[in-house]
Amino acid sequence: MVKTAKKNKIHEQLTPKTVVIKIAKWFLILFFGIYTLFPLVWLFVTSLKTNAEYFDNPFSLPAVIQFQNYVNAFSQANLGRMIINSITVSVIATFINIMAAAMASYAISRFQFKGKEAIFAMFSAGVMVPLNALMVPYFTIFSRAGLLDSLNSLRILYAAIGLPMSVFIVRGFMDSFPREIEEAAYVDGCGFYGRFLRIVLPLTKTGLVTAATFQFLTCWNEFVYANLLTSSPATKTIQIGIRYFTNQFTTDYVSMYAAIVIAIIPSIIGYMLFQEQIISGLTSGAVKG
Amino acid sequence: MKHKRQNTVGIVLFLLPALFLFIVFFVFPIFFVGIMSLFDWNGITDAGFAGLQNYAKIFSDKVFWRSLRNNVIWALSACFIQVPLALLMALILSKKPKFWKFFRTVYFLPQVISGIAIATLWSAVYNSEFGLLNGILRAVGLGDQAKNWLGNPSTAFICVLIYGLFYIGYYMVIMMAGITGIDQTYYEAARIDGANVFQTDIHITIPLIKYSLSTCVTLAAVFGLRTFEQVYLLTNGGPANRTSVLVLYLYNQMRNNNYGGANASSVMLILTGALVIVCIRKMFSSRDE
Repeated sequence: MVKTAKKNKIHEQLTPKTVVIKIAKWFLILFFGIYTLFPLVWLFVTSLKTNAEYFDNPFSLPAVIQFQNYVNAFSQANLGRMIINSITVSVIATFINIMAAAMASYAISRFQFKGKEAIFAMFSAGVMVPLNALMVPYFTIFSRAGLLDSLNSLRILYAAIGLPMSVFIVRGFMDSFPREIEEAAYVDGCGFYGRFLRIVLPLTKTGLVTAATFQFLTCWNEFVYANLLTSSPATKTIQIGIRYFTNQFTTDYVSMYAAIVIAIIPSIIGYMLFQEQIISGLTSGAVKG
Repeated sequence: MKHKRQNTVGIVLFLLPALFLFIVFFVFPIFFVGIMSLFDWNGITDAGFAGLQNYAKIFSDKVFWRSLRNNVIWALSACFIQVPLALLMALILSKKPKFWKFFRTVYFLPQVISGIAIATLWSAVYNSEFGLLNGILRAVGLGDQAKNWLGNPSTAFICVLIYGLFYIGYYMVIMMAGITGIDQTYYEAARIDGANVFQTDIHITIPLIKYSLSTCVTLAAVFGLRTFEQVYLLTNGGPANRTSVLVLYLYNQMRNNNYGGANASSVMLILTGALVIVCIRKMFSSRDE
């Protein structure tokens, strides 16, 4: 990669001007890198110290690595329960979301009918709706449905709020392969549902994975509605947990930091594994739109 | 043949799940807040028609105006500080300097971590006793500048707002995708004409990624208007409502069982958002002529 980039560059002369520009450029690149990473690394290092070490000097390295902080975090904050809640909510909401998005995209992408572009435009416009402003109606809907303080309310709501993005991504992928592929299947007697299950879904796999990754992260990180719709310890998700760490560990800072590290590690691992999907999903949604 | 392939029942069935979720959680709530903002309602007993009284009440509330003002400052600084910084870094990284993929990964990282976790991290940075910021100030001999950043009315809002402005990854990735899509022949022609890097950036790259740029500005404004988690976690609106934002304002109204006022605030938030989107669209399309 680096080699080809070098080849493309015209030979640059080292004048004072180019040197200054080079320094400024690397200053900026490193500034934003350090700005992003330093607080995270600091949090991680601090989570391995004792409280005494932390109060004494916030920058020192731990004399002995304190895994005990992580054990404390797990036992005191009931982290296990929260993680399981977050996983089931995110998995189920992502599944419902992707199924609904794939079915709608199949109808919109592969068939002609009146108003299909209007329906698609409506879905896309959903991205701009300030969902945080809809707290009262969401609360009212779920309280009438008897689903307050239940993880099911989050599963349904999360499946819905990610729809604009998912429909956008999945439709884009479905549009990109030619009709002739289904033609052959149609001649062989493969019906509407068969073509969806056996041809369109497998061919759209990349798009589905992209949309699902995006949707999963949205669910995993959601806070506002989890905070509004659930209240008991049994229904806390990990994000709600983070909010309460500050109360739970009033003096035990290092265990609180350990709990936060545990809460963000799944996001970082997911990002490492699916980086390309996340970035391509974001750009397909935002650039073509 | 065409008629048979066109399975109307199938299309309707496939559109139903997504349409159902969309209508229940996007369309209905918007009408709901619009209509219910005209009723005096505490969420429990029957609502009584109140005309524009809810609006009159919030308009005479200083905290509402303070919140709206904070939101506008938030949106403007995202548009005029965060997006330009992201553009600058997109221009630098799309020339593929060494390790550009690594830095792109790092810059984007805060995007996959939940807002609530990032806010907690920054509450540790701003902590008046053991925080990273005061620690750095003391280490470089500026200990007299150390203060209770979030408890001080003159620094609280800027602290809550500013840290996110330097997380540029999201907009940078969108604009980098736009830059990748530019036809290389433009650059070759410019090079033959003797244009330097700055001239090509300003006269070719920026005009050609206008669409990505307008997407970023719109998203920055919309996100600025719907912000909640950072404020809720770091200051909960304090000190003395200095850092309040509209979503927090409506959340508090709702918790005080003033659902009518909460709905009127939602309507104001949705209208402000729509107005901003229209203005940005106008601004970017008028430059065409």
